[in-house]
Amino acid sequence: MESGARFEALVLPHLDAAYTLARYLTRNAQDAEDIVQDACLRALKYLEGFRGEEATSARAWLLTIVRNTAHSWRKRHRPDALAVEFDEMEHSDAVVHDPEAKETLGRALDRLAPEFREVVVLRELQGLSYKEISDVTGVPIGTVMSRLSRARARLQEALREEEVR
Amino acid sequence: MTHASFEAQVDTYLDGELAAGDARALETHLAQCPDCTRFRDGRLELRAAIVAGVPTFQAPPALHERVLAAARGSSSPRAPHRFTVQNVWRPLALAASLAVVALGSWTLALQRAAGEALADDVLASHIRSLMPGHLTDVPSSDQHTVKPWFNGRLDYSPPVYDFAGRGYPLLGGRIDYVGGRAVAALVYGRRQHVINVLLWPAASGPASGPSTRTRQGYHELHWTTPDYTCWLVSDLGLAELQEFVLLLRQADSAAGAR
Repeated sequence: MESGARFEALVLPHLDAAYTLARYLTRNAQDAEDIVQDACLRALKYLEGFRGEEATSARAWLLTIVRNTAHSWRKRHRPDALAVEFDEMEHSDAVVHDPEAKETLGRALDRLAPEFREVVVLRELQGLSYKEISDVTGVPIGTVMSRLSRARARLQEALREEEVR
Repeated sequence: MTHASFEAQVDTYLDGELAAGDARALETHLAQCPDCTRFRDGRLELRAAIVAGVPTFQAPPALHERVLAAARGSSSPRAPHRFTVQNVWRPLALAASLAVVALGSWTLALQRAAGEALADDVLASHIRSLMPGHLTDVPSSDQHTVKPWFNGRLDYSPPVYDFAGRGYPLLGGRIDYVGGRAVAALVYGRRQHVINVLLWPAASGPASGPSTRTRQGYHELHWTTPDYTCWLVSDLGLAELQEFVLLLRQADSAAGAR
């Protein structure tokens, strides 16, 4: 199968997963779109080097590219983003928000540092295995587990705060 | 094993990544440790809240087209491709699909025969349940909390199981209205997916099914046991749903033989 058709069969079915990951990594629809497009062009280019045939591994492979694209994109376009994003998010808390649970949980997720946010998205929204998350993020499985555990503890706090309110 | 090391395993267990032997040891510990049980229930609550409140997104059509054009540009022109049609029916992002699907299923319900109308009812129940705050009336991972909750609310006591150890944790239960009667809806989870199981007493007949249908990106499985008529609906893959039905039926027949 030549690369265009192989791309359509293997990679394209995971476009929504790629876009969802990018949305949560960038927290911005336009940036997410740019990143996914960029990542897909890279995937197309490197597809020959990709040996996996199974659907799930193609998904993890694409998500790896999306994740790496998002990280280098962030460095290039928003070099200050890492430094200020937490302050920004805390300040935005002062704005009056619709106090719905989904808002709060969603915002708590947005406030997590990117390395915690990405494991939550990969696990809870994409259903990846620990091994796959480890492959996508390039950290050992033990680190995936501890990040998941800390991220969940933070999100549960946010959930409790919402219930108290 | 210390208490702390058991607690550290709860996430791994709920994620379905704990080895079977360790999972059994943890289940034994959970049965006698209120702290660990509370910890697990908190995690299940979080999971249900994520399912209900944190959306996945659908790639914008324009992005899809650009990527597709890039893929086709890199190869010689080929025969028409199949997947664009499939994409439309892939499980849609919740927010975008709710209105369309609910409206569609209501309209169709008016035109369909009784069996079809029932399947539509079941699907509508599932979609309703995914709207924020509608998933459960009794959110609990404890079958001994969920089952008694139906007492006095229904004239039957539905079988309730927890398959957390197999990766299908119980999320809770609710009452729904399907086929002109109040029915028990049991909610199970699988990763980010919600599985609704609706069941009510059936005129006693031979066990059958499951029969399968797929509509609007959701699978519906229907089967009967000697006591109940059962419907299951979810956007989870069909293979896993069939595995889950197998688990339910095995648990049913084990309970029946007891």
